[in-house]
Amino acid sequence: MLRFLCKRLALAIPVMLVVITITFFLIRLAPGGPFDQERNVPPEVMANLHAQYNLDAPVVRQYFDYLGDLLRGDLGPSFRYTTRSVNEMIARGFPVTMELGLYAILFALLVGMPAGIIAAMRPNSLQDYVPMSAAMVGICLPSFVLGPILMLIFGIWLGWLPVSGWGSTPGDKILPAITLGSTYAAYIARITRGGMLEVLSQDYIRTARAKGLSTWRVVMVHALRGGVTPVVSYLGPALAGLLAGSFVVETIFQIPGLGRFYIQAAFNRDYTMIMGTTVFLAGLIILFNLIADVILVWLNPRLRQEAGH
Amino acid sequence: MQRITEQTATEPVLEEGSSLTRDAMHRLFKNRLALVSAGFLLLLILVALLTPWIAPYAYQDQNLLLGASSPSAQHWLGTDTLGRDQLTRILYGTRVSLMVGFVATAVALGIGVLWGATAGYLGGRVDNAMMRIVDVLYALPFAIFIILLTVIFGSSMLLLFLAIGAVEWLTMARIVRGQVLTIKRQEYIEAAIAMGLSRWRIIRRHVIPNAVGPIIVYTTLTIPSVILLESFLSFLGLGIQPPQSSWGSLISDGVENMENYPWMLIFPALTLSVTLFALNFLGDGLRDALDPRASKD
Repeated sequence: MLRFLCKRLALAIPVMLVVITITFFLIRLAPGGPFDQERNVPPEVMANLHAQYNLDAPVVRQYFDYLGDLLRGDLGPSFRYTTRSVNEMIARGFPVTMELGLYAILFALLVGMPAGIIAAMRPNSLQDYVPMSAAMVGICLPSFVLGPILMLIFGIWLGWLPVSGWGSTPGDKILPAITLGSTYAAYIARITRGGMLEVLSQDYIRTARAKGLSTWRVVMVHALRGGVTPVVSYLGPALAGLLAGSFVVETIFQIPGLGRFYIQAAFNRDYTMIMGTTVFLAGLIILFNLIADVILVWLNPRLRQEAGH
Repeated sequence: MQRITEQTATEPVLEEGSSLTRDAMHRLFKNRLALVSAGFLLLLILVALLTPWIAPYAYQDQNLLLGASSPSAQHWLGTDTLGRDQLTRILYGTRVSLMVGFVATAVALGIGVLWGATAGYLGGRVDNAMMRIVDVLYALPFAIFIILLTVIFGSSMLLLFLAIGAVEWLTMARIVRGQVLTIKRQEYIEAAIAMGLSRWRIIRRHVIPNAVGPIIVYTTLTIPSVILLESFLSFLGLGIQPPQSSWGSLISDGVENMENYPWMLIFPALTLSVTLFALNFLGDGLRDALDPRASKD
């Protein structure tokens, strides 16, 4: 286990370094300096600005300075909002995005897993077709279609739920969470069904049935542990998708989260903010993939042996 | 091609005269949903190709006096806030979205198949190194990187093709490699080696054609995810730029005006969703037909 952990960490660190390096040099490739939009800046002011943002040093030097700053956890100041640092923006936006993502994944698991289990209990029956058709709808309705439609129906036509904001009016977190979570609910339902079907056809399940256990007990106690392992391995990649999805959902519902900041930074060409957020989000995704892998090995002892050598 | 596919050895040929290809076709034709989807997609492609001739209005025609009007006999799907015909806009958007979908998928297909086949066939240290690169790239947060690229280089169609293609080839490479590892152990490859064919020739003429089933299936399933990615970028305003439109940018316009002019949201959203349905159903149908052993997930 420890060895496996070390192996995965040994992969995660170079990946992180690749991310940082690519991001850094891509930003440096961007045509035009970050202050080109400001008109009539006296050369000495420009020089000052460059010095303040460490842009007068050679690029390689800048790169290592940036790496050093990152090690100290300092993502630098924002180009656009001179009084704010990137760290502050992340500290403000990330908890919101995290909360949204948490509700979304909870929604996805609470809807998707039962749907998948129910479908797997009677394959190729109505009990299978109904949830799986719903899952297909969930997969084919991207968040930027589902979100506005939910807003239109529940917010504007029926007037049941608020259509924007975060934590300011009661119930304003419901629509964003459902919008973000529905695609994942759909995938989780399909994956759970697949995993459960495989487990349910195995001998030890037949044994459990032969012992006279109720279907319910067989499914919930004996099959579930094996059946949900594919779901766990899906959760890591799902998180990366969730973060990207939060860009859309936060923009639609006007939620002051990290995704919205990122899109705003992209439009403002706020390079340090883009760079800082990219590195931060990438680190997060890599971390969650790592955790998902570790949980997976822990759940499935057979993988533990493979991972050992 | 036809003859080579017959050798795709997923199960033994049952009887004379019933080749695997024919079996697969038979299974596909029995799947009505997949057939209807294929028909719809063909129609959509045809419409997209013929758009300049069949669109009821010119693309840039504005009617500011009319403004946004609900569906009527003159404008079947209504008009947008500038009085532009929605049907025409959606038709041109279909062209763009489908083109991005197909071209970027082709890019992904090209890189993925070559990479996976080479890694799988050469094996050993080369395979290890090549797949480690795929692992590293897999861990990168690509949605974020594509946004970064569009910010830095400005968004153009070419960038979209390359960027999306560069993301989607990874899974293809893994699938092809897995296939090739199995094919490599077959006797006809041994025969080809014994006949002195070059490695490259064996990969191109024997290995790739025999891995074609899963490649077709995965390609069909890649197209919707590419279309989705492009729409996602265009929705955020980072993909296709005005005056061009794609489904994503039309939906984005629709969201802005949905309170007063809901048809501006509903029709492009419907077009995108129905197309995604059709592509997914066709992909599932092809998987069931070409690779009966693969489970639904």
